[in-house]
Amino acid sequence: MIEVGTLILMGVFAALAIHSPLIRLSVIYLAVFSLLAAFLYVLFAAPELAIAEAVIGSGLVTLLYLAALKRSHVYTIGVVTTSNVVTTRNVVMHSGLVSDRYAERIERSKAVQEIRDFFIRREFETQLVFLTVPTGQALLDPAYDLVLAEDGEDLVVYTDEESYVMVELELVFQMHDSMSKVKFIRYSPEAVL
Amino acid sequence: MSETQILGESIIIRMVVGMLYPFMVLLGFYVIVNGHYTPGGGFQGGSVLATLFVARYVVFPVDDTDSERLHTIQRLFLMLILVVPTALLFTGVVTRYPALRGPYLTLMDLLIGIQVGFGLGVAVLRFAFFQGVGKTWHL
Repeated sequence: MIEVGTLILMGVFAALAIHSPLIRLSVIYLAVFSLLAAFLYVLFAAPELAIAEAVIGSGLVTLLYLAALKRSHVYTIGVVTTSNVVTTRNVVMHSGLVSDRYAERIERSKAVQEIRDFFIRREFETQLVFLTVPTGQALLDPAYDLVLAEDGEDLVVYTDEESYVMVELELVFQMHDSMSKVKFIRYSPEAVL
Repeated sequence: MSETQILGESIIIRMVVGMLYPFMVLLGFYVIVNGHYTPGGGFQGGSVLATLFVARYVVFPVDDTDSERLHTIQRLFLMLILVVPTALLFTGVVTRYPALRGPYLTLMDLLIGIQVGFGLGVAVLRFAFFQGVGKTWHL
């Protein structure tokens, strides 16, 4: 009975580890999963394995994951969704929330893909955050490393003028000759204030 | 990570790990020494000893350990693991004197435990302090 309960709990924690939104949380769920596995080994009369599993599975491996996680940087790109770009085809806002179709269109657009590839080459993970605040407010928020906004057909990229990575990004876009679609605007945080 | 940030690490973690440290050493050696008649043994106790390096990294993440020297110690014990059975088992000493069997197993567990402890510890520390192949990222 306890065995079945432990197995079910292990399944639950495995599913939680896969589906949790934060990687840090997944690591902790995996540690709990490992501890339950150690408990199960004890129930199945394998205490030697239980010790090894408890020490390595929930001790050393968890720390290795956390150390690896500390190293991975996530680059947050804020996308300003202004209500004046509502078209008949794509509804941007739907009852105060950004619609899935709009988010998908932005995520699949060539410029965003190129920005992603640029950061992946530099071993940065990127995440898009869709904002419902005005551009000025988004620029002031230090949580967003890069702010995107749509201006008609063009995509406007607001970049910090002190960040030299953005100079490289601009150069990449110039080399690929897709500047017509993407505009770069450099700003200093003090000037916005 | 700068020096001031390290000193700013949570005092709770520092105190708790400091208090647990001697007990971790004790548990590691207990598991190793009693390995031949209770659950545990060289590998399990060695992994407990390896967590000592990890605990130190959690509290004080500064790369000041000479991992090359730790690696050398680990290789020395690996050599002893090969040499001791060759000297005691294949010459027939242990089989001739049954009283030596217990001490022989304890000695082997101890050698394996220390080798595994240093090995896993060095592996974890090298991974944690690995800086990439000569590159740093600044934004």
